[in-house]
Amino acid sequence: MNSNANRNAKIKLFISRFVVYAILIFLAFLCLFFFWLMFVNSTRSNAQLQSGFALFPKENFLKNFYNAWHDGTIDIPTGMKNSFIVAICSALLTTYFSALTAYGTYVYNFRFKKAVHLFILAIMMIPSQVSAVGFIQLAFKFHLTNKLWLLIVPSIAAPAVYFYMRQYLQATLPLEMVEAARIDGSNEFRIFNQIVLPIMKPAMAVQMIFSFVGSWNNYFMPSLLLNDAKKKTVPVMIGTLRSADFTKFDMGKVYMLMLMAILPVMVIYIILSKSIIKGVTSGSVKG
Amino acid sequence: MAEVTLKNIKKVYPIGDTEKKQRKALKKSKEENPESNKANLQITDEGVVAVQEFSLDIKDKEFVVLVGPSGCGKSTTLRMVAGLEEITSGELYIDGNLVNSVEPKDRDIAMVFQTYALYPHMTVRDNMAYSLKIKKLPKEEIEAKVNEAAEILDITQYLDRKPKALSGGQRQRVAIGRAIVRDPKVLLMDEPLSNLDAKLRNQMRSEIIKLRQRINTTFIYVTHDQTEAMTLGDRIVVMKDGFIQQIGTPQEVYDHPSNLFVSGFIGTPQMNYFDAKLEVENGKYVVNTDGYKVVLSEEKQVRLKEKDVKPQDVTLGVRPDHIVLSENGLKGKVDVSELMGPSCHLHMTVDGKDVIAIVPTEGKKVDYVNKEVDFGFNGNVCHIFSKEDEKNLEY
Repeated sequence: MNSNANRNAKIKLFISRFVVYAILIFLAFLCLFFFWLMFVNSTRSNAQLQSGFALFPKENFLKNFYNAWHDGTIDIPTGMKNSFIVAICSALLTTYFSALTAYGTYVYNFRFKKAVHLFILAIMMIPSQVSAVGFIQLAFKFHLTNKLWLLIVPSIAAPAVYFYMRQYLQATLPLEMVEAARIDGSNEFRIFNQIVLPIMKPAMAVQMIFSFVGSWNNYFMPSLLLNDAKKKTVPVMIGTLRSADFTKFDMGKVYMLMLMAILPVMVIYIILSKSIIKGVTSGSVKG
Repeated sequence: MAEVTLKNIKKVYPIGDTEKKQRKALKKSKEENPESNKANLQITDEGVVAVQEFSLDIKDKEFVVLVGPSGCGKSTTLRMVAGLEEITSGELYIDGNLVNSVEPKDRDIAMVFQTYALYPHMTVRDNMAYSLKIKKLPKEEIEAKVNEAAEILDITQYLDRKPKALSGGQRQRVAIGRAIVRDPKVLLMDEPLSNLDAKLRNQMRSEIIKLRQRINTTFIYVTHDQTEAMTLGDRIVVMKDGFIQQIGTPQEVYDHPSNLFVSGFIGTPQMNYFDAKLEVENGKYVVNTDGYKVVLSEEKQVRLKEKDVKPQDVTLGVRPDHIVLSENGLKGKVDVSELMGPSCHLHMTVDGKDVIAIVPTEGKKVDYVNKEVDFGFNGNVCHIFSKEDEKNLEY
């Protein structure tokens, strides 16, 4: 009787695990399959790509890479450099200033604090495309197009990042720690930079990944603000290539460019994900 | 090492939505029932009053303990001394200087928090050295000071660990170390032992006494635990609803509580209360509890006579350890008997009220449960409180 029940329990466990693993494998396949396809396609020539679907890599990887890097119409190394400047500056400044704002509305008591918080959150509801129209008009009126900082500065005001940082602070930063630092003789900026920022490292890492990816992949604003070939970012360049003369059109090159475009994102993710450690504040206060 | 003087300190917090609602509800209940005495004095037109009329002179190197129940304003007072809360009105002097609007960092004070508030990303050494680094002291001096403080607190072996690798007691030592490393003029402690378990709390309490002998500075200590207050303080300040109830040495507060609240708050188990009549018989004050009469001691007679106290209904307070089992006296039925080793705590019901008596066991095992016992007390241990304002009639 007992051994029967035991066997039944084991079978149930096996079935439930089987189902869970099957679903997980399917989801992992869905996520990874398209990356694999992109890699495979980047190793195929235009003719091979026209002939249909393939699951395994072919021999044209280096050729496609050479063609992409030395394309006459687009300057990929410059594009990469521009994208890096915009994405890294945006990621760093967005996370730093959002954290600073979140710290301000969390730690300090001032009049209309609640209203300020709600106002920032309300901005989240406005799609960026709506405000973009006015912004682009402004940029053209002031002759500010083709400037990379024009893509960086507006991205600093990121309500979603602010909200995330504030929630994180609420959960992890005891106000006593700030008070202890004040009594220790620290000024307010020093407290933020030396005490609060290290505690926020995991949140900063997460938001840096998102900001970097968002900025790196941004096509909408750069395509409207950057006309100069020397100032274009990678997504804009890929866009230009797709709309190029169809007689010169090389799909292998496009796939290679896409692969090159996602590589930095992957590297950034791998570097920063190490910083996403749980429980960084454990030990600071009683827990 | 400094004197701290608080003159008529008052703290009022701006009124928030919750308090507004509370006030409305209170007004409504008062309109419906004008006799109701549920008035919450803390909420006024100005806002929520946390501390009022707080005046205290703390001498150099004195250990003063602020004690009271939750929400009595003791932590707020300490935070005002630290500079973490603005003072609504009144004057605060540290070492003779008015510091009302001086930044916490410029007050030369140190504070130990209930939650330790250590910096989690720094090692114990860096935590302790942080304030000294800000002061830009030479590296060797910082090292020497940190090592000295670590030695005093016996945490030298943990200097290179991070707070998360320490136990609660060790973390609290680090927090104390971080405070004493600066040689502050005043050391403030906000319920530093509340988060520790009972055994560790006892141990740390004696550590604080030893520490005090070694570092010789002015201490202001906040606690809700009356044992800590009694054992640590040179003087105790008992607070309730933002008001000081009594200031005195632990012995004074225990022996001569100024009102009913202090008598109940200080001392465990709590003081027993009886409804009694203060009478004068043959020129002597006598307390009559349900026919059981006790002539008050000579010194109490003198004090009552000096104040010309008239015979009246009173609340009589007697501490559990002053109750003795006797053959003739008040009668009570024992509900529970707790054996404490050398003594037994008898929980009795007397006229529907709970009364606790501490009876020495003297090595004998006596079963009191469900039995009726007679008990009494002497005239020198009676505390007589007015029924009207709950004040001790002797003072």
